[in-house]
Amino acid sequence: MRLPRFFAKKRGHRQTGSREWGVVGDGLFHGTLLAAGLFFGGLLVTGVAAPEWRINHEFRPARGTILAKGLARTTVADPPAAVITNWRPCLLVRYEAQGRLQEAWSQGSAVENTPDREVARRRLDAWALGAEIPCWYDPASPRTVVLRRGYNWWLWLLSLLLPGALVLIGGSGLVRGLRSWGKSEERLAASAGLGELLDPLAQPALAAPGFPAVPTWDDLVNSPGTILRHRLPIESPENWTLVGFGLFALLWNAVVVVLAVGAGLDLLGGRIDWWLFALLVPFLAVGIGGVVLFVRSLVLATAIGPTQLEISDHPLLPGGRYEVLLAQGGTGTFQSLELTLELEEQATFRQGTDTRTEHLVVRRHPVAGFRDVAAPPHSRFEARTVVEIPPDAMHSFTSAHNAVRWRLVVRGTAQKWPAFSRVFPVVVFPPAGEMAPACPAGVAAGERTVAEGSVP
Amino acid sequence: MIGVPAGERGQGVPRVEMQFDLPHRQHEPRGELGVRYRIEGCEGETIRAVEHSVLWYTEGKGEEDLGVHFFQRIADRGLLPPTATSGAFSTPLPQSPLSYEGVIVKVRWCVRVRIFFEGGRDFVSEHVFTLGRIPPGRPPGPQPAAEVRR
Repeated sequence: MRLPRFFAKKRGHRQTGSREWGVVGDGLFHGTLLAAGLFFGGLLVTGVAAPEWRINHEFRPARGTILAKGLARTTVADPPAAVITNWRPCLLVRYEAQGRLQEAWSQGSAVENTPDREVARRRLDAWALGAEIPCWYDPASPRTVVLRRGYNWWLWLLSLLLPGALVLIGGSGLVRGLRSWGKSEERLAASAGLGELLDPLAQPALAAPGFPAVPTWDDLVNSPGTILRHRLPIESPENWTLVGFGLFALLWNAVVVVLAVGAGLDLLGGRIDWWLFALLVPFLAVGIGGVVLFVRSLVLATAIGPTQLEISDHPLLPGGRYEVLLAQGGTGTFQSLELTLELEEQATFRQGTDTRTEHLVVRRHPVAGFRDVAAPPHSRFEARTVVEIPPDAMHSFTSAHNAVRWRLVVRGTAQKWPAFSRVFPVVVFPPAGEMAPACPAGVAAGERTVAEGSVP
Repeated sequence: MIGVPAGERGQGVPRVEMQFDLPHRQHEPRGELGVRYRIEGCEGETIRAVEHSVLWYTEGKGEEDLGVHFFQRIADRGLLPPTATSGAFSTPLPQSPLSYEGVIVKVRWCVRVRIFFEGGRDFVSEHVFTLGRIPPGRPPGPQPAAEVRR
């Protein structure tokens, strides 16, 4: 039998790991997860779920008399040098089981344990000596008696969720590995279906019907324009940065508040925990920094007015001409406002344990440019222009780790504010002979036709 | 043609001679792709199966993605070498994705013939062709360096 090689050649001079060994390693990993899930699931089912199910279904009811009561102590070692002591109320009960009188200490579940002896004692006080109470005994072992029935749902959930997740991840990985064993990558790629179910994250992005690897454009045309047909959605990584800053400031300062409340209570109690105060000072400094960063980003994002782009048709075709309306809100003068059509390549790759995405603009076509413009009072600056998609344009392309994206970009400089740029993605289809351009011919690309607002 | 030999010592390296219907290998979207091939150099070895596929794949900085447009597996003994040492297949080509030579993303189309031998080893022969006429992408004039987002 031939063992697979550890390395295989891909293309050019790049050496890649052996696919067979990769499948073996993947299988071992997922097999371990599956075995761990089954093992812990078995432990939880036999140790927790099955005894509880027997109490609720097989134990027989009886009436018992409380003869004595006490606290059961359980001591568990807690390395390196401590022990944890738990307490549980325990009753000596006399009851009739299978025609004979039995006397036995009641059994309890682990959830009745408490590390606080006083709490356990108060629970014990609720039981009165000589009282007659309902109880349930094990027909297979009549001296085993319980005073309470029911289910601990969180234990059942725990016994299902944790081992269930391990079994699911391990099992699906193992099935995926077995399914791909001995099959070529073309055969695997050609046989979709189960693969999508087993590995949904590795599937390519949704493609337009009839146009493989061309992204869908539904999200780009679901908003009608005020003048032209569609209002393009804005793609704003700055907004996500703003949300990130906001979340960071919120969570960090929540920690600071908890620490500050602890320190304040100490002060009120007449104690000063210097370690806590020493920890609080840098935490407070970072918290204030986070708030400042968030407020600054918020001001930058909202101070310059909103930018809107409307387009006469979508998706776009190579060689097509499309009317575009650029609208810029905000007060004050914009020293420059430029609209460009860009083609960006995007590649996602793994570098060690990191996943990185690189973006590179490979084509940039100026569409329109304006200098020293200002919006009229209570209105916005508006300009109509025409964008032409180059006849030899690559269509929009998307796959699981790579993409070629077209986008319209508005770049501007407002007085007293840093330069800004706003991105509006568009989808360009492959050329199709029978589909006519959307705009009448004779309008040159980049030509400015109408500009509403003041252009000094 | 790119042939990926199994690299086993003492065993012959097969060769697949591929002939496209269009010798310049320049195909148009929605056109017909037809190929004929001939397998040589695998005397003394038993072929278990042969797979034909027409597919696109990405090359460049990102992880490789793959889309299979046409796939056919031949495991019938009567249709495999040495009974038949040559084959042919054809398929209509799709509208997309078109071949593209970008800077960090490239899309390539190819025909692959993969031969599976008894004993487990396989040999793949890859023949690239072009779909559409998209000029290569290159960075425009002065522009900032590639931006990396984690």
